[in-house]
Amino acid sequence: MKALVVFGLRAYVRSLRVLPPLIVVLLIICVVLLPGLSGSGGADLATGALGDVPAMLFPIWAWVARALPDTQPDEQQALSATAARHPLIPTAAGLVASFVVNLGLGALAMALPLAKAVATGVGPAALAAGVLLLVLAALGATLLGAYTTRARIPAPGVSLLTLLAANVAVLLVSFSPVSWLSAPMTQWVRAAHDGPNALTAETPSLALHLLLWSTALAVGHTLLSRHPR
Amino acid sequence: MRLQDVAFRYRRTGPWILRDVALTLPSGGVTEVTGRNGAGKSTLLRLVAGLRVPRRGTVTGRPARVGYAPERFPADQPFTVGAYLAHMAAVRGLPASAARPWTERLALDHLLDVRLPELSKGSAQKVGLAQALLAHPGLLVLDEPFAGLDATTRDALPALVTDLASEGSTIIVSDHQRHIEHLPAVQRVHVKNGTVTPLPSAARPSAAEADGWTVLEVTVRTTDAEAVTAELRAAGHAVRRLDTRRDA
Repeated sequence: MKALVVFGLRAYVRSLRVLPPLIVVLLIICVVLLPGLSGSGGADLATGALGDVPAMLFPIWAWVARALPDTQPDEQQALSATAARHPLIPTAAGLVASFVVNLGLGALAMALPLAKAVATGVGPAALAAGVLLLVLAALGATLLGAYTTRARIPAPGVSLLTLLAANVAVLLVSFSPVSWLSAPMTQWVRAAHDGPNALTAETPSLALHLLLWSTALAVGHTLLSRHPR
Repeated sequence: MRLQDVAFRYRRTGPWILRDVALTLPSGGVTEVTGRNGAGKSTLLRLVAGLRVPRRGTVTGRPARVGYAPERFPADQPFTVGAYLAHMAAVRGLPASAARPWTERLALDHLLDVRLPELSKGSAQKVGLAQALLAHPGLLVLDEPFAGLDATTRDALPALVTDLASEGSTIIVSDHQRHIEHLPAVQRVHVKNGTVTPLPSAARPSAAEADGWTVLEVTVRTTDAEAVTAELRAAGHAVRRLDTRRDA
């Protein structure tokens, strides 16, 4: 499993497919976060950014989870499956590798808001809440994006449209009365913009919601992987 | 290992590619799979390797360690030969040195630092064979392993297959070019009309078994023999040379 994760990560980096999402994240930092956080705002502004970053990165994380496993040609995925001896292991390895990349991208984007939050006196509880939400949101986005890999949807155009539609659906449903069906994106952004105390207070329920949502997505992957095409 | 009443189609409503397949692959035995292009040979091999799940029927007794060499090795990957084989060894829980005996035997040592996309077809095929052999597989599945190989490796591969079989490996080979049919005790099966039928050992499909085929005897200059053989094989014909030490 670990060897397959390393194999997938190296292929993704060496093929330079990591560059597009990395460039987009750097653009977000330069165009959105740097100007937004360079003002004289206090702790509330910095805490709001802790909620904004996972929301902005959510579609990028899902995109990575689609692209990273697809770095390997189909026949290589077959070779990895025979070498791994279990049909679930290659899928799990692809998810773990994508999650690792997504955590790296999240850490990169979160560095500035965290530094600003520390500088403006945001307490450790709110900082920990921001990091926890980042990790759980990255997990959910990774599991969502992995549904659009070539192994699940062979046609590239259909797969890309499905990825876009899924991201839009997550956002729209999180606004709707049935927001419990989606990742609680608007809820965590609202909590973060309400200040450190609100973010800390809301984080347990938001984290539980994200965990349950991610678990449902993971169960779907397990069921699909038991029946390879 | 046994396939019992196996049927497979790619989509739930698609045409059946294979039906009523009953096949026993003996431990330590070599099975040669023949059939026309598109008959379903590669699909059968993928079912045997566990890469496809039958829609109906059962596959039992598959050994834990499976080596699979596809018809076309996926060379479009950002690794050198050495790094790729080290990764595949690690996936199987083996040290990087596990590839060494096979790279020596397949004459790949001088290519270890070459990037996979820069390999010739034959060299890429050797990498595919090496990764399949890494773990001394209990089941070795080879899909057209002789395609593109140089003459030396083409001649060495049947001996390698025999060695593995003598150590107890179950081996199944799809081989258009008939390089293993002269091996002793090869079980031969023919894929046709969506099912698999056994053939007599060391025998070609008879006219009755492969209706629509005719045996021609063609005499060519020795200097032209290789080229004519290659052309006829490329056109999908089965060719056997009668005037040399071994079957071509």
